[in-house]
Amino acid sequence: MGLLFFKLALAAYLISTLGYVVSLLIRRVLVAKVSTGILLVAFLLHTISLISRFIASGSLPIMGIHDTLSLFAWILCGIYLILQLKTKTRVLGAFISPVAFLLMIVASVGLEGSVSLPDILKGGLVTAHITLSVAGEALFALASCAGAMYLIQDRLIKYKTIGSFSRLLPSLKDLDKINHICLLWGFPLLTLGVLAGSIWARTVWGSHWQWDPKQIWTLTAWLLYALLLHQRLAIGWKGHRVALFSLLAFILLLIGFIVEKLFFTTVHNFL
Amino acid sequence: MNLILLGMNHKTAPLDIRERLSISCEEGIRSLRELMHIPGIEGMIYLSTCNRVEVLAQTTDTQEAAEQLKSFIFGHGNLSREEMNRCLYMYRDDEAVRHLFRVTSSLDSLVMGEPQILGQVKDAYRQAVENQTTGIILNKILHHAFRVAKRVRTETGIAANAVSVSFAAVELAKKIFGGLKGKTVLLIGAGEMSELAARHLISQGIDQILIANRTYARAMQMAEEFHGTAVAFDHLEETLRNVDIVISSTGAPGYVITAGMVSTALHRRKNRFLFLIDIAVPRDIDPAAGDIDNVFLYNIDNLQDIVDGNIKNRGQEAEKAEAIIEEEVMKYTRWHNTLEVVPTIVSLKGKAEGIVRGELEKSFSWMQNMTSEERKNIEILVGSIMNKILHDPIISLKEESQDYGVMAYVAALRRLFKLEE
Repeated sequence: MGLLFFKLALAAYLISTLGYVVSLLIRRVLVAKVSTGILLVAFLLHTISLISRFIASGSLPIMGIHDTLSLFAWILCGIYLILQLKTKTRVLGAFISPVAFLLMIVASVGLEGSVSLPDILKGGLVTAHITLSVAGEALFALASCAGAMYLIQDRLIKYKTIGSFSRLLPSLKDLDKINHICLLWGFPLLTLGVLAGSIWARTVWGSHWQWDPKQIWTLTAWLLYALLLHQRLAIGWKGHRVALFSLLAFILLLIGFIVEKLFFTTVHNFL
Repeated sequence: MNLILLGMNHKTAPLDIRERLSISCEEGIRSLRELMHIPGIEGMIYLSTCNRVEVLAQTTDTQEAAEQLKSFIFGHGNLSREEMNRCLYMYRDDEAVRHLFRVTSSLDSLVMGEPQILGQVKDAYRQAVENQTTGIILNKILHHAFRVAKRVRTETGIAANAVSVSFAAVELAKKIFGGLKGKTVLLIGAGEMSELAARHLISQGIDQILIANRTYARAMQMAEEFHGTAVAFDHLEETLRNVDIVISSTGAPGYVITAGMVSTALHRRKNRFLFLIDIAVPRDIDPAAGDIDNVFLYNIDNLQDIVDGNIKNRGQEAEKAEAIIEEEVMKYTRWHNTLEVVPTIVSLKGKAEGIVRGELEKSFSWMQNMTSEERKNIEILVGSIMNKILHDPIISLKEESQDYGVMAYVAALRRLFKLEE
């Protein structure tokens, strides 16, 4: 059941991505509107697949790299769909839906095999740790998407190459606002996620900190975002610089994630 | 259809002729009433803008009404016969409908796609309704025209592209700030172009307008005109901190705003976006200011380039719009044809017969015991009841069909019995 809906959701993400690509090529808002609708369908199918996996396994489907990626894609879409209601930023979907689709592809690779978890990875704190961290990082992903779009739009306006593409992108103000909202929400979520993880680490391993590569990397990212948020709120950074910073910070976060997956053994091996 | 549309626009008539006609007709209501007295005219709408004068009339006899209308215009517009024949165009029936649809959708405008014309047509319609010069047909056509205009606007890019420098400036400002509500604009120097741009910005909801001029008295005078505030010319740097959009058009030989001033101001304003429009020649704003983050600098040539690009783009969109117009004219014609008496009678009878047949079939299923003769009698009975009920309406309709007021009956009948399509 869960698998069927997962595959349906995957297909819907693909269709929505293609729809957005077409809408960008022929520059028609109607196509983008339909694509948003399909993305909503994909999100709902995805939700059903998550719920049925939860019912089947009895625990939240957040363990293991595949579940985490799928959760990541789900949160990303959820946040985008909420933002879509509040701001005129439909084109953001054209950036979100391919990301969600790719995440789902990777997530689908080993989905059939169930992950056997050691007992120490079961418990409310672990669940809180993973959910909060993934939600925080999904918000950062969205902030970086908005940042990338901001940089494109900024460049189009600065270099006086206003065309129909620029018309499709949201205004700089809206993109900056999305970036701001995502940072503002993502940061406390990641902070809480990290705290939950460290408290749980203390109960299991007797110490908050294990010099685990993932811990080091996440702390670096956390510090970067703390700096960014400080610059934004206290110094008054806005627009171009914030967009660039948040895009770079997220790329760094991604590189860290991949490098650590490929070359290190960590206590986070299950994620 | 008995529709006739007479008019002249910026393509067919020079300004002075349009002016003469428009002023003499500008007595509006009075002339509308007078026009209604022309024999053969059933209803009419009169539209007058600075680019066109149009009269759309529903007539009983197109030929006669056209002549009468022409001589009315001839008499009132102080036009010579020769001028009138040269400048006036006349469309009939579906051509008139098509022309109205094109005008309302801004395909016939001087600046194609400009949004004002729709409002002007709506005003003209309102005036006609208030004077009770429209009937069922004109109401339908006008409502249809408004729908077409909306369709053209949403389905084609025709209205999306700014084709004047000041529209381009507004469009850019929206790309940067989202909306213009609550924003402040600073006008430096005076000039037709900058005033036009300022007016456009104000019409888009700009909150506050500041005016700086080398001669303070002139600034005060302009401030009064724009309901703005005059600011001192030597305090530009401080002023830059609090404004969002700057339009500069002084005749100064050097830069009025330097990159250093912008940079300082931006720091003070916590990097809020600043949109600088330099329409002066020689330039007023140091081009280096445009390289600063969150500052967007456009000069007159940049804006003109955008406009040129948009005009090129507009041609393609216009073709799509024309296709929509054709489709809608056809839809309208189809609706209009249903107003003929005969098809209405046919569909009324058809509907009644359908109901009778359906009900009989339902009832026969529980009248199993009846003989076929009894059933036949019931069929005859029901059929004759139906014919009796329909008899009077159909006869009256046929009688009315000699009269021009029949359209109202037909339309009412179609609506009451839900015979649409």
